[in-house]
Amino acid sequence: MGDTITKPAAPIEKEHYFSLSFVLSRVLNSGVIMSIEKNDHELKGLEKAIAKLTNTKHVSLFNSFTGAVHGAFWGQDIGYGSTARLEHASEQEKKFAKWLGIQLHADSYTGIAYSTIKVDKHNLHRLEQEVRSSAVQSPVLVLDFTGLGFGPVAAVASNDELIWKKAERLKIFGAFDLQTMWTQEESEPELQPAVQFNYRLSPLVAACVKISLLRRKSSS
Amino acid sequence: MKTDFIRKPLQLPNEELVWTPLAVDGGPSIIPEDVRRTNFPIITKEDVIQMFVSIQQDGDSVVEEFQEAYRSYVGANYAIATSSGTSSLHLALVGVGVEPGDEVIVPAFTFIATAQAVVAAKAIPIFVDIDPVTYCLDPSKVEQAITSKTKAIMPVHVHGLPADLHALRQLADKHSLRLVEDASHAHSASIDGRVAGSIGDGAGQSLMADKNFPVGGEGGIAFFREKEDYQRALTFLNESGIDYRMSWIAAAFGISQLDRLPYYDAIRARNADYLTNALKETKLFSGPFVPEGYKHSYNMYRVKLSPEQLGLGDLEDYRVKHAVEQLIHAEGVFAREWQNVPIPGHLPFKNRRGFGNGYPFSLSDRQDFGYDLDRFPVTLNMLRSTLTICRELRTPIEYERIQAYALAFKKVDANPDKIRELAEQSGDLKVVYERDARLG
Repeated sequence: MGDTITKPAAPIEKEHYFSLSFVLSRVLNSGVIMSIEKNDHELKGLEKAIAKLTNTKHVSLFNSFTGAVHGAFWGQDIGYGSTARLEHASEQEKKFAKWLGIQLHADSYTGIAYSTIKVDKHNLHRLEQEVRSSAVQSPVLVLDFTGLGFGPVAAVASNDELIWKKAERLKIFGAFDLQTMWTQEESEPELQPAVQFNYRLSPLVAACVKISLLRRKSSS
Repeated sequence: MKTDFIRKPLQLPNEELVWTPLAVDGGPSIIPEDVRRTNFPIITKEDVIQMFVSIQQDGDSVVEEFQEAYRSYVGANYAIATSSGTSSLHLALVGVGVEPGDEVIVPAFTFIATAQAVVAAKAIPIFVDIDPVTYCLDPSKVEQAITSKTKAIMPVHVHGLPADLHALRQLADKHSLRLVEDASHAHSASIDGRVAGSIGDGAGQSLMADKNFPVGGEGGIAFFREKEDYQRALTFLNESGIDYRMSWIAAAFGISQLDRLPYYDAIRARNADYLTNALKETKLFSGPFVPEGYKHSYNMYRVKLSPEQLGLGDLEDYRVKHAVEQLIHAEGVFAREWQNVPIPGHLPFKNRRGFGNGYPFSLSDRQDFGYDLDRFPVTLNMLRSTLTICRELRTPIEYERIQAYALAFKKVDANPDKIRELAEQSGDLKVVYERDARLG
């Protein structure tokens, strides 16, 4: 696919084969590998792990970095025809923002829309420091875990519940669509869905990211 | 340890159960509560070992191996593995040349992703009613919906029955339109031996875990007939920056599952045939219609209710359906509503905010998008008078379980007075499509 996308610097290291294979086998045999299962624990578990790591109240998971970028924009009502500021936008972010119809500008009077942390094996142990320095720049954090080697996976973390709600609304079968499924009633009609993408993450991928976060040697 | 192992076997059913008191009245359920669970996808040692192998390989090569294996199975010329069915449909549409402001004709009855993929392609979904027998897009109504803005027709192989692609191809050729299949329900389904996904100019297909061919949780695949369309899709990925890649974890699981797909298909077909034949022995129920030369994949199994055949024609059909739903659930068969509102009645198509500021709907000069529900009487009627078995039949269940399902329907059919009683008690029950729209 595109030549600007995140690729892991190296394949998964041999020392992690066993633990990851064990986790994947366990999840496979749990009977729950579908993101919209009522009794899924992997996605919720990863959300909690990221919330703890970033010291934020709300986390929304996505099946790609661009999905999370979209969620961060949409969560702040930045959509087609809007303008936004990004700090050191990558080529991919510029292309994607343009495709969304969002004009990027460098006007320093406005806050940056989100800050980004690209997570890989090299910075996994010092994530807390990276989170702390990023939090100063923007209240919305996009974490790209694709560099860990499990495939595209990212998250939006924020203390603003409304941002989280709107980001979830962007996902087909996000939190609110699922709630409507179970309750048969629209719980937040004032927060209506518009265009929606399937940005849902596989619980298997979530399980691998979660174990990487939980087992890392933190240097904070 | 959390496990998907089902510890308790279902007892062999017998015909006498049909005449026992109804479960809602305290009688024995046909399928007791502690043996109702079914599991799909089925995980075998092959899946686990494939995971051990794939984890040691480069992720891209695992995805490519899966992509090539499944492309070859379907018989498509080109394929792009994606993160979801929605993204695969989006890619298929962009690939065949759908551009901002174009119109794409889709059925009013489908999963919302069909129409959202059109919006993702910055085009306008134009909804058309379904055929009352197949529940797929009705070709006879499509031509009326074609305008100078129409670029493509995207039928959905609803529940796994291929849409009438022969008639739709004729229409597409007559009006110089592209034909894109939404094959998300139709893994291994075919028309005259041609597999769904390989028949249109392009196709998208979901491979998520509640599909007949599931990869590891979430995934999809786009197919193309022409190299030019395939390359247009690849160019779009590069130019937009959007990351639609499938995870290697999902792909690894797909590699091992693909080997067993024909076996699971055969069990599903066997079970569906058994149930369809059994329902013919009832007055109230009938199973899906499958035209000559068509192979249904039975991702879902929709049961039609005919209250008039059981002396219940004086009752409102949706009340009969609601009563039957309660009775059949109590007997142990989870036949339910799948979709309750035609897609044009879902919030994103009522508000038409799109990507923001109404885009791409704002590109249209239409005053009327044709999204009012009364434009889709066949879909409304179908929603009022049918129930669907989803995972419980998608799972390649044991013979004794499909026998038990059949007995449960026969037992309900044998109790018209109870159906009437419950229907008459349903008071302020709303018609299904007057309730909040659910996605499934």
